[in-house]
Amino acid sequence: MTTVNCGCDEQRRVTVSRRRLLAAGAAGAFAGLAGSQLDTQLAFAADPAYSGDVLVLLSLRGGFDGLSAVVPAGDPAYYAARPTIAVPKAQLIGGGTFFGLHPALAPLLPYWTSGKLAAVHAVGQPAPNRSHFAAMEELERAAPGTSLRTGWLNRMAGSLGADDPFDAVAMGTARPARVLDGPAPYLGLTSIDAFTLTGDDAVKPVAATMAALYQGAPPALARTAGQLTGALARAKALRSAGYTPANGAAYPSTELGAALRDVARLIKTGAGLMTATVDSGDWDMHENLGPAQPGRRMHDQLAQLAAALAAFATDLGPDGLNRVTLVTISEFGRRVAQNGSGGLDHGYGNAMFVLGGGVRGGRVYGSWPGLTAAQLRDGDLAVTTDYRAVIGEILRARCRVGDLAPVFPGVTASSLGLVATR
Amino acid sequence: MTVIDQTLTRRTAIGGAVAAGAAAALTTATPAHAASATDPQIHAAVEPAVVLDAGPAGLLSADPLLHLLRRATFGPSPASIAEIRRLGATAWLDRQLNPAAIGDPVVDGLLARLPLSGLSIGEIHAKVAAGQLRQFAWEPMWQLSFAAPIRAIWTERQLYEVMVDFWSNHLNVTCPAGDVWDSRTDYDRNVIRKHALGTYANLLKASARHPAMLTYLDNRYSTRLSPNENYGRELLELHTVGMGYTERDVKEAARLLTGLTVDRTTGAYRYDAANHAVGPVQVLDFTHANATTTGGEAAALALFDHLALHPATARRIATKLCVRFVADEPPATLVTKLVKVYLDNRSAIVPVLRALFTSPEFAASIGAKTRTPLEDLAATVRILGYGPPPSGTKTFESFYVMARNAGQAPLAWGPPNGYPDVATAWASPSGLLARWNSHLSIAAGYWPADLVKPANLLTGMIGATPATYGALIDATATRLLGTTLDEGQRAALAAFYGKTPASLLKYNDPAVGWMYPYLMAMLLNSPTFALR
Repeated sequence: MTTVNCGCDEQRRVTVSRRRLLAAGAAGAFAGLAGSQLDTQLAFAADPAYSGDVLVLLSLRGGFDGLSAVVPAGDPAYYAARPTIAVPKAQLIGGGTFFGLHPALAPLLPYWTSGKLAAVHAVGQPAPNRSHFAAMEELERAAPGTSLRTGWLNRMAGSLGADDPFDAVAMGTARPARVLDGPAPYLGLTSIDAFTLTGDDAVKPVAATMAALYQGAPPALARTAGQLTGALARAKALRSAGYTPANGAAYPSTELGAALRDVARLIKTGAGLMTATVDSGDWDMHENLGPAQPGRRMHDQLAQLAAALAAFATDLGPDGLNRVTLVTISEFGRRVAQNGSGGLDHGYGNAMFVLGGGVRGGRVYGSWPGLTAAQLRDGDLAVTTDYRAVIGEILRARCRVGDLAPVFPGVTASSLGLVATR
Repeated sequence: MTVIDQTLTRRTAIGGAVAAGAAAALTTATPAHAASATDPQIHAAVEPAVVLDAGPAGLLSADPLLHLLRRATFGPSPASIAEIRRLGATAWLDRQLNPAAIGDPVVDGLLARLPLSGLSIGEIHAKVAAGQLRQFAWEPMWQLSFAAPIRAIWTERQLYEVMVDFWSNHLNVTCPAGDVWDSRTDYDRNVIRKHALGTYANLLKASARHPAMLTYLDNRYSTRLSPNENYGRELLELHTVGMGYTERDVKEAARLLTGLTVDRTTGAYRYDAANHAVGPVQVLDFTHANATTTGGEAAALALFDHLALHPATARRIATKLCVRFVADEPPATLVTKLVKVYLDNRSAIVPVLRALFTSPEFAASIGAKTRTPLEDLAATVRILGYGPPPSGTKTFESFYVMARNAGQAPLAWGPPNGYPDVATAWASPSGLLARWNSHLSIAAGYWPADLVKPANLLTGMIGATPATYGALIDATATRLLGTTLDEGQRAALAAFYGKTPASLLKYNDPAVGWMYPYLMAMLLNSPTFALR
């Protein structure tokens, strides 16, 4: 029997409830409207009150090897630990004195040199956890030692007053996003074009009929149905408007490329998007990670990642990028020393990328703990900066989150200065 | 402010007023979705409420037999409706509470297609040794996951299967997950299924000495020199007494639980005396000398017995059962009654369920529950009355994917608190879209396409073609929902076909041909079907 999921993928689910009651049941509010009239009413019912950056969260699932992406070339222990898969100094790009970028990240070099892309190294969770599942759970709940069960991105959206499913979006999967799990409304969709009600068309107006069928329904049911018919109408309007990426941006035909293209599409509608989460999988390279050459595993995956991010930034253009900050996270980094299979086992400390108009980029932030045996944490890069503190700094400087406590309880924002205050 | 604080605030703000079920207390505050769903300690019980005018009760048939079926099973099916009408409520419930006496040939046959779904730890290791299964293989866990919707849909032992689902959430061990690759199917078979209608004390102790639980909550790595508090905390907070313990209680429990571990070679449960922390312990009102390493396991089991029969645990279990079977806001009177039954019967579950289903509070709770995605999926196939696929497992996987897309992959909830069980936790537009699409897909036979269904859907559902659109809608609603809809809803459905309820049906109208599945699907999309 084939499995429907890979072993490293996390199972997630949704629990969403409306933060605030709408003044009137959404379905009831559109009584007597049908077809395109209804679509128009719903498509423009959004509240574009949010004026902070759209926080795009890119989850690199499986355990991303930050040491391959942002190479500590000035640390001899790195080369000693990885005889066949270390990236040679001569191949590094980005021109740092201690750190260099993997050559496969070349599509992002313009953003690095123009200061729109930065990295933070030796980041991670407060405590090591080398189980994919448990680490991912902690990463997305982001509240160890508390009774909170929600996802931190939902808490962020909630603290910003999200009240529309299109305020917070999980793009690329219809499955619920754990990081968005919580009371603030959000939408999970495989793609804008696929967010459709089967069979609904001019001859078979299923959505409009459902809106009518839910009039007078108990408020809780009516509200969700109203959110859905509204979101369907919005997706329909977006579909009929069509989409051509701007500035000649060419998204790679990957799931990540498609998801980022749809995120850019939503950002450009100016409909109040606060946050979007997208996934990039398959970073769990226990074997044959390969040297930094085309055709090898890590190289090609980094190239795909870079191509998607570069297309996204190109598509948004400088003005669009000024309202966006994208961060990458991963459940854990990987072992410093390569294993017997030319791969890397699960580790701890990691690198994260930050891309956006407000970023002070072109450099690597953080405090480098060193890679000698005594400096490692059980063979892994130590963590000197809590990933939540980094995101916290961005939330405060770019997303107008005044109080971090509801999002990351007990965490103080870092003061790396990696983003300019809006 | 924590989620729990918010909940308390909300409860306080609500005071005694409550609306039933789906229309439940939605105030301007944030509902604490997962916490409130799973923590009856903070889910203050309320007095039974007057059903509101526009409340959900009016959307559903008031027939007490249908009410019992909607709650005690994964949804009424034509066969189960006929059966409960034949037996009456009491005999039907008696039969369901004794599942061993119920034959289940259909599901037995289907599970034979998932031969790894019930393997014990020993059987999995034997297969690995014989080269028939890879070390760390996920197939057994996947087969168990695929089996869940199949059992929910087609088992004759409906109430038993509902309780299996209930306990699988209460004592959650995520499936699939890499570190329980060899123990998760055994956990289902020898912990949950074995004790689902037994006593909670035995169920809890079975879970405590099971590699799946000891692995999932890290106790296998907990040693006297370095106790891991994870299991100790969840044992108190989730499995037994609920909130109200102290950090000291957690530490003491964790110390007592050291030594309950897993044999690295066989994967079986093992008590490791050498790693057990000795010395007197106190957890809440439980004390034990815990004087010897060899006596550590017995001392730990004494704690489990004590906790299982603790009044706070009784209240927690009773409340959770009420949340599952009665209302999101459980009636305080019923909870109190069930606590007494639970304690009088030393945590036996059957008397508690009998008291619950025969209570006036249960009878008065029509419309107070909303279907979760998994319940919705199972109820859809059950009320359609479609039969299982003649062969293969592809459709089993399809059901799993449908449930997953709607947000509730069977057994796959990550955190230890189990899937939430209240309407507010499931109010998701994406999840609703997945459900609506599944309704049409299943009813029309688009996907899965190999369920056994009537050659002519309309004839199979309602027999002869009615004279008018209104009559067509009424007959189909009665067949699928057990009730007719109101005037506005009837008009809306007729308008879908460009007609009014009074319009005459012609034999070649699309509504009685290729467009009939749309009527079926839209009725399954209705607020009435969303409720149970």
